Amino acid sequence: MARKLEHDLSDLKDRVLRMGSLVEDAIRKSIKALVERDRALALTVIDGDHVINTYDVEIEEECIRLLAIWQPTGSNLRFITTAIKIITDLERMGDLAVDICERTIELMEEPQLKPYIDIPRMAEASQKMLKDSLDAFVSRDPESAMKVCEADDFVDNLNQQIFNELLVYMLQDPRNISRAVRLTYVAKYLERIGDHATNIAEMVVYMVKGKVIRHMACEMREPEKNDI
Amino acid sequence: MTQPIELEVKNLDFFYNGNVHALKGISLPIQKNAVTALIGPSGCGKTTLLRCFNRMHDLYPNHRYGGEIIFEGRNILADNVDLINLRSRIGMVFQKPTPFPMSIAENIAYGLRLKGIRSKSELVDRIERALKHAALWDEVRDKLNASAYELSGGQQQRLVIARALAVEPDILLFDEPTSALDPISTAKIEELVVTLKKYVTIIIVTHNMQQAARVSDMTGFMYMGELIEYGTTEKIFTAPEKKQTDDYITGRFG
Repeated sequence: MARKLEHDLSDLKDRVLRMGSLVEDAIRKSIKALVERDRALALTVIDGDHVINTYDVEIEEECIRLLAIWQPTGSNLRFITTAIKIITDLERMGDLAVDICERTIELMEEPQLKPYIDIPRMAEASQKMLKDSLDAFVSRDPESAMKVCEADDFVDNLNQQIFNELLVYMLQDPRNISRAVRLTYVAKYLERIGDHATNIAEMVVYMVKGKVIRHMACEMREPEKNDI
Repeated sequence: MTQPIELEVKNLDFFYNGNVHALKGISLPIQKNAVTALIGPSGCGKTTLLRCFNRMHDLYPNHRYGGEIIFEGRNILADNVDLINLRSRIGMVFQKPTPFPMSIAENIAYGLRLKGIRSKSELVDRIERALKHAALWDEVRDKLNASAYELSGGQQQRLVIARALAVEPDILLFDEPTSALDPISTAKIEELVVTLKKYVTIIIVTHNMQQAARVSDMTGFMYMGELIEYGTTEKIFTAPEKKQTDDYITGRFG
């Protein structure tokens, strides 16, 4: 019977990764749509969100089923509860990609306010955080996961920088305000994407080590070599 | 439900000693090639129900059946049913392993001979097949003539299953088959039950809810002689419809 459980857990992991893949793709496309002012691409991301939502519901159902049927303990229990939390973060990230696309479509009603430099940098950093957190999940690597948490500061700082810059544009000319505010939102969404990736990374640490590092400041977290 | 039905229980009543109303209007389908678990607190009637399927109660006087159990279009509770034939088509495995006081091979040959199989080669063949299906062959192939009592509890239970399988039943009834076994033997029997459903329909009574959750496809929850709820095991254990069912599976009573 243990074999069947192992098989089901492996399936679950694959499903979470597929969902992660869809979310990575949605974020990538949403930034591409923004930078290239591609309305059609933005619409495909918005339309595709229901697929991500379906994964959320179905994976959660499967996790509950596994808990009921197998009453798992130890690392298996932590794996399943981690999966439930990760998919919530992934689903929200999918929604944030949709939000970016909605702002993109609105921004296209006016000429581009300024060259986009920092927003793509921020997007790249957040996307890397997501990718690294999912890689840490697959390889069960708490050290890589902790590095994701550390990368969040960079994203937060860029968000602040973007805001400061856009504030100047708004003060210079009221006709800039509508576009500047929308771009501030986009930066905010990317900052939230970074936060969600951090959540995933923190859950990976819990999953592997049984240690809760959520809500602890980075400097208070001790790297440990032992694996449960 | 689009699954084929092996047995249909229709409004079944059962009275011990004529007037103790032990089963009250039970109706449920038993799906073919699936494992159906019957769960419920002690005294709820699950073993009483199980023993109706092979008319075990007939061995004792003064008991009374009401209602019907339909198998292959006929009511097996009727008077003119051939019970020997019924019990080879609907076999039973008990809580305590019950090997016959003979060799391992003879245990299995016994039922085959009763069915009229005399050819030595056919007996040898069918003994091997039965032991393989019961996941016991590798452990006993070199000592088929040893006494069945030399086997461990878990092995004896698998021998009993092999014995039942040898006569090619349609249905196997398991009455708390692992209650007397250690965890490793229990796991082996559970794995066996899940494998066997390809060949036979299985009904298992167990007081171990986790076991029911692990091995069964469908689950019936009984209480005080009634069938309270019946559904897919997944539904019963994640979101049962009746509060009583939820109370039982969460351990609030029973």
